[in-house]
Amino acid sequence: MNKHPKPPATNDKLHVPSSPPAALELHAVEKNYGDATALETLSLRVESGQRVALLGHNGSGKTTMLRMSSGLLSTSSGDITIFNQPAGSLAARARLSYIADQPTFYDDLSLWQHLEYVARLHGVDNWDQHAADLLDHLGLYERADDLPNSFSRGLKQKAAIAIAFVRPFELLIVDEPFVGLDAAGKDALLELFDQAHEDGAALVVATHELGFVHSVQRIIALRDGSLVYDGPPGDADVGELVRQG
Amino acid sequence: MSVEPIQPQTRPGLGLDALQEMRISRRKNRLLEMEWFDALYRVYLTAFLGGGFVLFVSGLIKDTKLDSVGVTDFSARTPQMLGVAFAAAFFLGLRTGANGGPIAVEDADVRHVLLAPISRSVVLRHPVIQKVRSLTFVGVLAGAAAGQLIARRLPGEPIHWVFYCAVVGGLIGALFIATALIAHAINMPFWATTIFGGGVLVWQIWAALGTDVRHGPANAIAEIAVWPLGVDAVNLVGALVILVLLLIGVSLSGRLSIEALARRSNLVAQLKFAVTLQDIRTVVLLRRQLGQESMRSVPWWKIARVGRLGPVMRRGLHSYTRFPTRRIIRMVILVAIAAIGLVYAYRGTAPAVVVSGLCLFILGLELVEPMSQEVDQPERNESFPVVRGQIMRMHLVMPALMLIPFAIIGGVVAGIMQRNSTGAPAVIAILAIPIVGASACGAVINTVKGMPDPLGQSAERLYMPPEVSGLTTVIRSAWPPAVSILACTPVLIVRSAEENGMNVIGAAIRGAVACSLAIVLIVGWVHQRDVIQKWWRDVMEGGRAAQADRSKSEGGLL
Repeated sequence: MNKHPKPPATNDKLHVPSSPPAALELHAVEKNYGDATALETLSLRVESGQRVALLGHNGSGKTTMLRMSSGLLSTSSGDITIFNQPAGSLAARARLSYIADQPTFYDDLSLWQHLEYVARLHGVDNWDQHAADLLDHLGLYERADDLPNSFSRGLKQKAAIAIAFVRPFELLIVDEPFVGLDAAGKDALLELFDQAHEDGAALVVATHELGFVHSVQRIIALRDGSLVYDGPPGDADVGELVRQG
Repeated sequence: MSVEPIQPQTRPGLGLDALQEMRISRRKNRLLEMEWFDALYRVYLTAFLGGGFVLFVSGLIKDTKLDSVGVTDFSARTPQMLGVAFAAAFFLGLRTGANGGPIAVEDADVRHVLLAPISRSVVLRHPVIQKVRSLTFVGVLAGAAAGQLIARRLPGEPIHWVFYCAVVGGLIGALFIATALIAHAINMPFWATTIFGGGVLVWQIWAALGTDVRHGPANAIAEIAVWPLGVDAVNLVGALVILVLLLIGVSLSGRLSIEALARRSNLVAQLKFAVTLQDIRTVVLLRRQLGQESMRSVPWWKIARVGRLGPVMRRGLHSYTRFPTRRIIRMVILVAIAAIGLVYAYRGTAPAVVVSGLCLFILGLELVEPMSQEVDQPERNESFPVVRGQIMRMHLVMPALMLIPFAIIGGVVAGIMQRNSTGAPAVIAILAIPIVGASACGAVINTVKGMPDPLGQSAERLYMPPEVSGLTTVIRSAWPPAVSILACTPVLIVRSAEENGMNVIGAAIRGAVACSLAIVLIVGWVHQRDVIQKWWRDVMEGGRAAQADRSKSEGGLL
């Protein structure tokens, strides 16, 4: 496997902080849908290169938090920054890669065309070898010319993973990535996470996969939209936290 | 583990070449994969139905030219009436924008393009301009068709009427999309759109309803439509304002909310599919989702956990107690518009019954919500140990009771409009409930027949020419609203009685009886529908079996 590429070199310099900025920072973030509260006031900071598991039962606010971090949802109050840039801003989008719980593809593009499109949208010129390596690693190389919308749930998940990894990123946020994956797919994904982590990327993964949860440096657990645990796995009863999720 | 942070940087124009190339390539692919015969057939069918509609409306308009008094009256009243269309476009535009409209992009575009580090203004300008183009084009077409129709009764060159009405139609479309884009980009609160847009609309309606000439906010811009009778350059100010608003709206493309775009992308695709299937129920449900209109989490009033009412009626009551305020306001507005339309029909504008019928049809769709929920869950009601027709019939009781207050509201509106007519209160009292009830029956038919099955009856349709099978589908969808429109015609009977010097109260009673009979028939149909359908299927299958036997025996003889 090649290392995943870094963000493209550019001319415009943006805000340069004096100390290393947090990969992801939430300041008193809240999200309400009408009368319903999806996420109560939440503040946290994920450092660069940190490996985090996000746990919580259905409706605990995990997906809301991840979607707000990616810029897909706006906050009701508070703000979120990605490397000191507002979530959803152009600079934040360059550094964050998001794998949603429901993979989404164009109806009329093959998997290979998706990879080309996304890589080039992120300014990656020599994308093809990296894309081929990714597909091979995930066991999708033979399906490169097929339409991903015709794939099974597991293959769609793998395709979404390939698309997320073909572009540069420094923060990867992932929502339930192991759902639908077979054992080989899970192993391949864990290897990709390890690779990204070695390259210095921060990972925030919402999952109940014990194999991954035991490998993280930090667990964040949510319940009914509130933070109930934030610390290393060693201090927590991981099994209990996962079961509650 | 921490690493030296990489300087966050961006490159001007990053990824734009890929975006352009991919858009061109996808367009080419779509053209290559397009079913040309199918597309041409759809164009043909649209032209066929559209042309038919214009011809039908032409038939309603007399060919004789208006006299000078009529022309003066037309010139004075048209801007006020047409101004309502501008005010409505403004109001609806604001509401659409506050709801996250007017554009919808592909779900995959939201995920892959709008989350990429490229300028959202550039990405979104393309769909925004497409939307501007399509809506103004629809406005121009509608305006030109209206201009062609009115030119027959007015002095001046027909081409001038067509041209200026087309310009006005285009401006109405442009105003809608401009206000929607601005309201969305500045994140205008929903209540503000109601106050601001509603205020303008009410003001313009007040101007339009007056018997004298009243100044409305959109009178000046709407005057462009009557330019063939005299040009007033001041009217161009309104047009310029709309164009400036449009430019501002397009320039704000980059500020459209990605949350709203993500929410709408999937829903709009489903909505288009539902419209293709003429599935009104799904359209209603998706429109509610697009408008983020959900049932109240706290009911208006609490109902005792145990009560004497039957389960179906209690289920209906539970549903009404959770109707959101917006829906109730919409229902009141619908019945008010319907009443206004009926008054206009009574005063001589017979086609206004179509507007009233459609409003009451939509009101009926809201009223039969508990029944619609039942139809949405066929597996559930199939599992009840009760005949389905009986459950459906019981579902009509609560809507019948709930429509009474709305009929009273409609009656009050009509009464205010006809306050100078001495016989009006009695006629309104006789007709209000029967008309609203019979019109709601159109919605009942629509709900009970369920969504169209595109694969059902495929064998029969195979033998039909496209015009017939297409028309069959259209008729299947059109007849429930047609029932609602027919239910409004007693007003025309009353008008006819008055014109012929007959007793209007007697005519109103005859109309009310006709509506009541229609209600009884439809309730009976709801109860017996499954039995009738079964009988019909048996007859058809018996006929087919007999035909097959005959063919076999004839084949044997040969």
